[in-house]
Amino acid sequence: MSGAGAFGLEAGDATPLVAHASAILSRGDFATAAEALTAKMTAAGVSRLMVHSDNPFDILRAIDAANRTGADLFIAHTNLPETHIDAVVKKFGVQMIVAANDRATEESAVGAASGLIYMMTSGTTGAPKIASHSLNALMSRAKAAMHPGNRGAKWLLTYQPTGFAGVQVQLTAVVGRGVVVAPEQRTPAGFLEAAKANGVTQISATPTFWRAFLMVIRPGDLNLRQITLGGEAADQSTLDRIKKAFPEARVTHIYASTEAGVVFSVHDGREGFPAEWLETETQGVTMRVSDGFLHIRTPNAMGGYVSDTAQPKLDDGWLATADRVEIRGDRAFIVGRDDSTINVAGSKVYPLMVEQFLLRQAGVIEAHVYGVSNPISGQLVAADVVIEPGLDPAATRSAILAACRENLAQYQVPRAFKVVDAIAVRESGKKG
Amino acid sequence: MTEAQVLEQITAIVQRMLEDKGVKAATIEADTELLGGAINIDSLDLAMLVRELEDVVGHDPFAEGFIEFRTVGELAKLYAK
Repeated sequence: MSGAGAFGLEAGDATPLVAHASAILSRGDFATAAEALTAKMTAAGVSRLMVHSDNPFDILRAIDAANRTGADLFIAHTNLPETHIDAVVKKFGVQMIVAANDRATEESAVGAASGLIYMMTSGTTGAPKIASHSLNALMSRAKAAMHPGNRGAKWLLTYQPTGFAGVQVQLTAVVGRGVVVAPEQRTPAGFLEAAKANGVTQISATPTFWRAFLMVIRPGDLNLRQITLGGEAADQSTLDRIKKAFPEARVTHIYASTEAGVVFSVHDGREGFPAEWLETETQGVTMRVSDGFLHIRTPNAMGGYVSDTAQPKLDDGWLATADRVEIRGDRAFIVGRDDSTINVAGSKVYPLMVEQFLLRQAGVIEAHVYGVSNPISGQLVAADVVIEPGLDPAATRSAILAACRENLAQYQVPRAFKVVDAIAVRESGKKG
Repeated sequence: MTEAQVLEQITAIVQRMLEDKGVKAATIEADTELLGGAINIDSLDLAMLVRELEDVVGHDPFAEGFIEFRTVGELAKLYAK
């Protein structure tokens, strides 16, 4: 037992913690819900728990209950196909799933729990990669970021609530006695409405989110104290536009990943990071450039993937990222991921994965998925498909698009979608 | 292309996007805010709209960097020549 209160939530505490849709839940509400879940887990002998929900109410009470009982917690994206959820439940012996209606599974315990938090990458065809973190490391990172200006802050939850960044925002609010504001409508207008209604003071989001958000926001709508950009490289023009719109706010851009945790944060308003941070320890983290790619050594790193043989951790203890780095003058810049990946607004899309999904749809005989660039989201997913002769192209196109929207994350859905007669094959035998 | 012609193109592209999403058509006018909630599109749809406009109109007003816009009319102005 880690003991009640390690997470800092106490029954009877009326301080608000989460504003979701129109409901406001207090820290005490969470303590009570976590105690109830703890009792349920103890009664059923649960040492491996999963939360499968986008509602911060479910995520935070699951983290709290796992912490109180010392159980392992799997945080699953809601957009993962059921088959993958089932596979994780089976493989790791998850005994209870937290959702709107918590339910026990038929699995039995698989040995002693180690009190870890497992987060998943999104994967639609291949099984998701799972990275383990210790709650202590996550919490101490949140505490380290807790300067006085962040105390009692109201955070807009712009990130996927089950992702690393989303969880980090929620933990930061817990640690700093702040509030998480989660809108019902995850559109720019919906985010603005929720932010205004709850007097949000800090927003952590991708540069793409900011570009869209700046289009709906009007002067005086929000009184922001802290603005954080992450998930994709922050460009100078976006940083400048944010500074202009919110001259009073502190603007920070960070580099973080599921694998490495938060690596560095930059506060000087300039894109990139100081080149001197390479090879010298900064913020507890050491970085180097190897063959043009960023390598990281960090105490915040996960222990390694538990479900994948391709461990990104090198023999010498460094973590190899797929991010290319370029040094210009006194500044280092992240210039992009390895070339097979499409970066849509900070989310990685593997073209092969989407192609395989399209090829499984009725009537599709060939598919080519590729990135197209644009000034708003950096890249977008485009797809060309060849369909069986004799099918109605319009009807088939609609059916495939509907299947994409239903089964893929919204950033994975091809936005440019064409039915073509043939897909070019290069001499190498590769498409496009 | 004149501003009015670009506006027509924007309307056509947005209506097709809504149709693709299985969402009902929207009334689109010069002062309609693209992400203001009146039209059911997200920022990735908007990104695609900008890309398609470049193809249709033949130039990219964002080539030198991002320019602020909010309404359909403001976007049309950026592409009009």
